[in-house]
Amino acid sequence: MDTLTNWHERLIGKTTRATLVTTYKYWLWLGFLIVITGNGALQYWKQWQDGLYVTDMRDRISWGLYITAFVFFIGISHAGTLISAILRATKASWRAPVTRIAEFITAVALLVGASFVVIDMGRPERILNVYRFGRWQSPIMWDVMAITTYMTASIIYLSAPMIPDLALYRDRLSDKVGMLRRFIYRTLALDWNGSPKQHKLLGKAITIMMLIIIPIAVSVHTVVSWIFSMTLRAGWNTSIFGVLFVAGAIFSGVATLIIIMAILRRIYHWEEYLTEKHFLYLGYLLAAFGAFMVYVNLNEYLTQGFNLEEAGVFAFRQLFLEDFAVMFWFYIIGGLLGPVVLMLIPKTRTIAGVVAAAILVDIAMFLERYFIVVTGLRVPLMPYEPASYGPTFVEWSVFAAGLAVFGLLITVAIKIFPMLAVWEMTEEHEAAISGTHSEEASMAGTEVAGSGTSMERFSDAGGSAEEGGP
Amino acid sequence: MSEYRIVFSTRIAISALIAATILTIASPALAAGIEIAVGAPDSVSIGQDVEIKAVLSEDGVPVEGAEVVLTYQASLAGETARVEIAAGTTDATGTAVMVYEQRADFNGEMQVVYRGPGTDPVQPFVFTIAVESDGPQLYQFEVGVRIPFINGTLVILVISSAWFLIALAAIYLVRVGRAGQSTSEASTTEDGSMWIGTLLATVAVITAIGMVVVFIRAPVSNAHIRNPHEYDRTPIAHVGDEYSYVGFGLNDESAAQTGDPIADGAVLYFKYGCAACHGLSGQGAAVGTPLVDEVGSFGSFSEDTREGPKGMPGYDEVTISEENLEKIHAYLRDGR
Repeated sequence: MDTLTNWHERLIGKTTRATLVTTYKYWLWLGFLIVITGNGALQYWKQWQDGLYVTDMRDRISWGLYITAFVFFIGISHAGTLISAILRATKASWRAPVTRIAEFITAVALLVGASFVVIDMGRPERILNVYRFGRWQSPIMWDVMAITTYMTASIIYLSAPMIPDLALYRDRLSDKVGMLRRFIYRTLALDWNGSPKQHKLLGKAITIMMLIIIPIAVSVHTVVSWIFSMTLRAGWNTSIFGVLFVAGAIFSGVATLIIIMAILRRIYHWEEYLTEKHFLYLGYLLAAFGAFMVYVNLNEYLTQGFNLEEAGVFAFRQLFLEDFAVMFWFYIIGGLLGPVVLMLIPKTRTIAGVVAAAILVDIAMFLERYFIVVTGLRVPLMPYEPASYGPTFVEWSVFAAGLAVFGLLITVAIKIFPMLAVWEMTEEHEAAISGTHSEEASMAGTEVAGSGTSMERFSDAGGSAEEGGP
Repeated sequence: MSEYRIVFSTRIAISALIAATILTIASPALAAGIEIAVGAPDSVSIGQDVEIKAVLSEDGVPVEGAEVVLTYQASLAGETARVEIAAGTTDATGTAVMVYEQRADFNGEMQVVYRGPGTDPVQPFVFTIAVESDGPQLYQFEVGVRIPFINGTLVILVISSAWFLIALAAIYLVRVGRAGQSTSEASTTEDGSMWIGTLLATVAVITAIGMVVVFIRAPVSNAHIRNPHEYDRTPIAHVGDEYSYVGFGLNDESAAQTGDPIADGAVLYFKYGCAACHGLSGQGAAVGTPLVDEVGSFGSFSEDTREGPKGMPGYDEVTISEENLEKIHAYLRDGR
């Protein structure tokens, strides 16, 4: 039987270990990501010089892999919002170990996703014209608004609950890290000392952000879908697109969260904290969203297919039977029904099963974004031969670099920030072991991190919890 | 319908009045001696439905069943022509009503023209209608549904309140920092700072204001069709205006007689159309091969130009004189 203090110390040890201990594998991985990123940068330089001619985007199919990547990454960024804000708002007690990772995914995916819009531009130096000459009658402008708002909100929402843990790092690691990280901890911890007043104020900030970020996140991917559905193109012009995009975003966000959780758990031996329970709960969430996505897709294609308009015939044929049929059916069967089946069969209801489902989902959702973008533009608006599109080496390189930067930012963040929400996990652990036993313990438990005084109080509380603990 | 300027001549007006009061079974009008009178508004604004009345009479008798058209002077790319914008047939009183929608911001000389059934020539009626300058600059469709209170202001309110809450949360973080500074004594290991919270709050507030400014400015920042003075991003070309084309003066012989063979060669390189295939500076393009580094001796260059290898047309000495070809060669060899 652990004492609470031991449990707490072990948690801090496991969390800081990820920050402090760096093996050669880490550097190898980092180098690999930098090489991929470098190649992408090189190819982008080529695009900068020669223009979008180096891609396969032309007059008829003018959006391709870049916009796919944009939609995909913005979708992934919904991981943090859902897990963190919705679970926090509903007080789901198991959320604590996964929230921090989820919030990091949000911030990083947003940065990468938003930059793909600029990458897709033929004249990126004109990006500021969006603000100078922007007209709010344009859906593109709505997107700029929504993503700017979401990005700001996500960064605040990431940094606010991290303050007590940064204070912990500031107090514990000041003699173990260099100047830069000491400076980061000192400034970002905002003089946190765990006083009740600070707890109250921080609580207010987190509550506001938690409530505001849910509608913002929903609006972001709805607006992304409106860029497509506000047009009169067959396949895009459907009122269910907002729902499809938001559900798909949360779907792929949860899948990405599962994958990254599994990787970190394995590398840093966080088995004690990221338990099978967490994976299974997220897996159920994945299965539920998979089923919902099947419903939304059925709804979309059946209504469009039943009152089939002329252009719809072409759109449906290429999607269901011809050029994009393999992608489409993999998406439906592997990506949407797959997770449901994996969660239904008891044998695959394991961490490995959940991770397999998550990988399927991420691939399927990427393909879905791809065929939505490309098939919509491929439907001829006039009786001409349908155009073709296949990403060029430049496009694949830049896309790979996007994935690499996504990994790179998380990899670097591990060496700076606490990736487990120590204070929230401790609160949760406390509540779990004391149960109805001690109000005192949970009161004290809210002040785990910070100054020496609160640590002493914590030890006392730990002592009392020990007596009545299970 | 705005007031009418009556452009009837007295004689015709009287005859039209008489015509209106007398029921006549009009025989198909004979075109000879037909006169046209027109009632039209003085000035109109863009987007307005304009009604034009034409009254046709022949020796004081109204002409029934005559076809008339309304035309105006349109001009595009230096070409001018008369464009029909409405047509009508006269009734028993000799009156034809034609309605058109004012889209251009200048009508020029308008005419009501007789089209038949008679074949004898009829003098068209010429008149002008001024277009009010303070109307919308361009023609707009008036489609759409206006719902009270569902408008841009509401959008601004929603966005502002989201940003207000974000800023509020950031301000709470600033207060967290301040609370830390006031309570922390020697126990804190190092001096902390609250500037990051302040920074976040400032960024949030500034971005919030910026977003709202973008929204409020939106109608004036681009394509403000209600007020032409605000529409200054792209030069406006009006139908009817004439713009003189200023070229490079390549046909001017003296342009290639400066005395500097390289400068002359550059002009001639454009004049003879080399640039069309071989790129603006001879770097090569989709059709023509690169010339700059491949130009070689004048002998082979001249041979290639005269003969035209691989689908290139040959240029004989009548087209490009030997002297000019040497200049082009000089430009390609030393020009860059």
